[in-house]
Amino acid sequence: MNKCTLHDRRVLALTSIGLAITFVACGSHRLEAAPVDFNRDVRPILSNNCFQCHGPGASNRKAGLRLDIESGAKADMGEYRAVAPGRPNQSELISRITHSDPDERMPPADSGKALSSEEIAVLKRWIAEGAGWSRHWAYEPPKKHPIPEVKNSDWPLNWIDPFLLAKLESADLFPSPDADRVTLLRRLSFDLTGLPPTWEDVSSFLADEKPDAYEKRVDRLLASPAYGERMAMYWLDLVRFADTVGYHGDQDHSISPYRDWVIDAFNRNMRLDQFTRDQLAGDLLPDSSIDQKIASGYNRLLQTSHEGGVQPKEYLAIYAADRVRNISAVWMGATMGCCQCHDHKFDPYTMKDFYSMAAYFADIDEARHLTEGTNTLPTKREPEMKVLSRAERERIDALTSRIATWHADLSPKSPQDAARRPLRKRIRDAQRELETIQKNARLTMITVAIEPRVMRILPRGNWLDESGPIVQPEVPEFLRPLRRATGRANRQDLANWLTDPEHGCGLLTARVFANRFWYLTFGVGIVKVLDDFGGQGEAPVHPELLDNLAIEFVQSGWNIKHMMKLLVMSRAYRQSSVVSDALERVDPYNRLVARQSRFRLSAEMVRDTALAISGLLVRDIGGPSVKPYQPAGYYRHLNFPERRYTAHTDRRQWRRGVYMHWQRQFLHPMLKAFDAPSREECTAQRARSNTPLAVLVLLNDPTFVEAARVFAQNILCQPGSAEFRIDFAFQQAVSRRPDDWERQKLADLLTASREQYRSNTEGAVQLIHIGEAPPATDVEPFELAAWTTVARAILNLNETITRN
Amino acid sequence: MKPPVSNKLAAEINRRTFLARGGVGLGSLAFTSLLNQGVFASGSRRSPSGLGTLPHHTQKAKRVIFLCMAGGPSHLETFDYKPKLAAMDGQPMPDSFTKGQPIAQLQGQTLKCQGPLTQFKKYGQSGQVISDFLPWHAKMADDICVIRSMVTDQINHDPAHTFMNTGTAISGRPSMGSWVTYGLGSETEDLPGFVVLTSVGGRNPQPIASRQWSSGFLPSRFQGVEFSANGDPVHYVRNPAGVDSQQQRRLVDTVQQLDAHRNQAVRNREIATRIAAYEMAFRMQTSVPELMDVSNEPRHILDMYGAQPGDGSYASNCLLARRLVERGVRFVHLYHRGWDHHGGLVQYMNICCPLTDQPTWALIQDLKQRGMLDDTLVIWGGEFGRTPMSQVKGGKGRDHHIKGFSMWMAGGGVKGGISYGATDDLGYYAVENVVHIRDLHATMLHLLGLDHTRFTVPFQGLDMGLTGVEKARVVRDILA
Repeated sequence: MNKCTLHDRRVLALTSIGLAITFVACGSHRLEAAPVDFNRDVRPILSNNCFQCHGPGASNRKAGLRLDIESGAKADMGEYRAVAPGRPNQSELISRITHSDPDERMPPADSGKALSSEEIAVLKRWIAEGAGWSRHWAYEPPKKHPIPEVKNSDWPLNWIDPFLLAKLESADLFPSPDADRVTLLRRLSFDLTGLPPTWEDVSSFLADEKPDAYEKRVDRLLASPAYGERMAMYWLDLVRFADTVGYHGDQDHSISPYRDWVIDAFNRNMRLDQFTRDQLAGDLLPDSSIDQKIASGYNRLLQTSHEGGVQPKEYLAIYAADRVRNISAVWMGATMGCCQCHDHKFDPYTMKDFYSMAAYFADIDEARHLTEGTNTLPTKREPEMKVLSRAERERIDALTSRIATWHADLSPKSPQDAARRPLRKRIRDAQRELETIQKNARLTMITVAIEPRVMRILPRGNWLDESGPIVQPEVPEFLRPLRRATGRANRQDLANWLTDPEHGCGLLTARVFANRFWYLTFGVGIVKVLDDFGGQGEAPVHPELLDNLAIEFVQSGWNIKHMMKLLVMSRAYRQSSVVSDALERVDPYNRLVARQSRFRLSAEMVRDTALAISGLLVRDIGGPSVKPYQPAGYYRHLNFPERRYTAHTDRRQWRRGVYMHWQRQFLHPMLKAFDAPSREECTAQRARSNTPLAVLVLLNDPTFVEAARVFAQNILCQPGSAEFRIDFAFQQAVSRRPDDWERQKLADLLTASREQYRSNTEGAVQLIHIGEAPPATDVEPFELAAWTTVARAILNLNETITRN
Repeated sequence: MKPPVSNKLAAEINRRTFLARGGVGLGSLAFTSLLNQGVFASGSRRSPSGLGTLPHHTQKAKRVIFLCMAGGPSHLETFDYKPKLAAMDGQPMPDSFTKGQPIAQLQGQTLKCQGPLTQFKKYGQSGQVISDFLPWHAKMADDICVIRSMVTDQINHDPAHTFMNTGTAISGRPSMGSWVTYGLGSETEDLPGFVVLTSVGGRNPQPIASRQWSSGFLPSRFQGVEFSANGDPVHYVRNPAGVDSQQQRRLVDTVQQLDAHRNQAVRNREIATRIAAYEMAFRMQTSVPELMDVSNEPRHILDMYGAQPGDGSYASNCLLARRLVERGVRFVHLYHRGWDHHGGLVQYMNICCPLTDQPTWALIQDLKQRGMLDDTLVIWGGEFGRTPMSQVKGGKGRDHHIKGFSMWMAGGGVKGGISYGATDDLGYYAVENVVHIRDLHATMLHLLGLDHTRFTVPFQGLDMGLTGVEKARVVRDILA
């Protein structure tokens, strides 16, 4: 078997993009030995080129022909059969896609689609080989697959590894060597907590030669409160959590307790089924707790409007559609949004499914704001509730019981006034703290059920058209039905169904999430498209592995920490991310996982990392959103009311990015520059761009300049030579010592900056006064300014903001 | 000593990064173009970041200036004269027009006809009909093509802008400026390819979300960058206090060199992009202030626009628009917020028109005298029009209206001195040669050499283009 055939076969498992690249790389070589796999090779071609007119959508189906189901494709149409198994020459499909008359040729020219000769060859071969058919992979329940045999049996560390290795071996590829321990610890720290390791973490890990050294770090990081913050960053993108209403006046709304609940839920390792239930239906659960009510804020996260001209019916229709888009993307990996106006063209979802799903949420009390919404900050979005977080409530309990005890101690049995005085003070202090906590109770939007609104199918999505049939809450017809003994199904039933592996679509949900955990730890999903498991998405590169991960997730009791640990304990996770030229050519997008991935940190992590390195980072958990420095006038286009942003001047200034005020219409320019989404819609995967605007942030945003200066102050606290200090600074930022060349470069920068600032004290004073943190007074301004410059260089390094 | 990095190469590589990004890939067309072009070849000198096989056909326009009159100017007091409406002033609006139609603030109110609140005359050789509110437009009657039969789908400001800019009211799609810059690239390496400028003046300025210039699912470097007249013209474009240009240069050099050095060990294929991004960022720190400083413009040019340097007015923005397109920026989007005339329409037209009328004229003349109007497409209009029915909210006014309104186009490939399409006698429905926003998009793309049916990117399982998945037509009758 020559190399190119190998490439071809391997590449079939990859994306169509990968396919094209390898075709180019291999010149005129064609697919040979490997038998065609329907789901992997054929369905994507049919879906992309044919289903629009010959697919699930009934309304515009042409010639009565369906190619998305086997019975349709192979049906005897009287004069012809589209697909005659084993006989490509007698298959109308082949004759039409190869027709010499452009008017007869499929797909039609005006569709903008065209089949490549490779794609035609695949279809011909598929029919010649018997036109095997299987249901779309995502709708087949996952099966448990045996762990494959591998030649290099020393390599695997857990059961994930043989699945990857077997594929590599069949392609004559090898996994990459293990990453060095520093890189590994940095990777692990970013992936599990979103923060870089401290130099102490690094040193102790390097010194720990016990076999469980790595696992101990994994456990420690999973137990860190920062883990919940890191996971929340991702979750909040999915569910489009933001601090403002999004439409028109983009006023603040009250919802930060929901964010804190998410962080807490991840930290407590709440099961995904409960996590789902509390959010969709926390208000409906028996003896619904405060936390469950806070969680039910999920249903209120969508964009809302009370603009003067809004028509309630229109906006209730917009909200219903928004919810269906979000639920289907987050839990089902489905793009049901298409079905607002017509049956899905590629997947078996129908308009009726869309509005029936919307009907589950028809009981949510939300119409009031359309008429009662106020142009205030925050605006009114009733129903809302004043709440304390779990941590605050626990503190109150603790204080209350302590006060009770102290009161008991004050009993007349100890009459001496001298002994009573400190006790009284303690009680007073505790009471004061209690009051402060109570006073800081926050409003949060919650879900309250009312009499469900009538839900109709809106013809072509038109809310003015009330001729469509009324629908009841139902799950998509082609999936397993939701069973309910009596009465109208509700959100709780839906939540149960979404996470019920036996009677619901729980296994689909499990696959969707297993794939996302993989994305969080490997940088690219086993299924690359994280929110579309439909026909237009992409088949998994390692379907058996994904199946087993999904089953593992369910069997572990929807245990997210268990899954994250499983992934990071694999040998595959620990590989180096350095890519050889050969591997780069064969697998440029790392779909075979013959190495780890390298990518820039997410926006929040870029911020957190700079603050952590500088020593400025404040690790408080939860609370109202915080406001870091932001360019003046950035909100000038906001109105109702006009907006003035006031940055916090206390410790809130240096908190983690996950707590930043998320203004949907004008997201903080720093977050935006590093590809954080506005959270108007579900974002399952952020872009990772590299733009001049992001560079300007790192260079000039006061947050980063201040971080550099405070970092410099810490550097200057280190005794010793400039070289020693440079080493210290480098270690803090990138967890390694600089080499001689790097040290010299930074020393040169230091020398030149020092000279310049020595003759420009005014400039030095200006630089070191950027930011709220007080500048050190025990050092000459020129010296601090020069070191600030060095620190800026270090914070700007690619390595500093890269997870590799 | 700077590392030798070609920006063009970086752009190529960056595009390749985009390919690698999950959820989004390039359309098959775009992708083939990449291959044909050779991803790593840096030879061709065409647009530094456009897609190789674009444009699809000969371009009539190379760049766009979109003058958005945010709030929705009344077509009935600008370009669409309705004598019948004048005759019916004060009478009930016939039910046959409004029954079952979406209505914004007039929900539940008695609907009465409101005759035109000004006079109209014919101007120029073409006899183009223009209202008295726009005396400077009258002078360029023969330059512009007025479309009197626009329709849109969205009746409230925020979604209507989103619809105008992205072809849908659902958030998360690219703005037209991003589409165009993505497809054609830009002709400048010192400035962003898509620039937004805003001004205020008139009634109750409606908010404008930055969503309006978002790159949506396209790479973020195609997002519109808003330039501001106040404070830093671009966020963080100014060096930190106490850092001069030479120091910043030294810092950037050090970072670039350290990155390049480290890369020998880690072989990061993105490094060239990153180093190039530092280079462009540094250059922007000079080029942006230079662009914003109009002090070297001659007096007569400033006077022609009526611009006071640095005042942030629409006039200044028109002048900046010209400076931007001169420097190779592909798409300039101006917003003037103040046209939401629910009440006091005459009073506020007397504010909005003087602020925008002359500068718009000046922009057209200035482009013309520089020989740039021929390949610059200028588009004027709001997110919707206003009702033939009166609304009284502090003096006579009109509510939002989406079933018929006016816009105009001029320059690059459009016939001047014509009007196209018509509304009915009362100015309610567009009835003749109806032009939907999607048709406007298709026509704009066509003039730029782009076929809207083929200029797509896979998104959520669809081949998504600016015109969405619905049919759209190029309005061929107005092409020169």
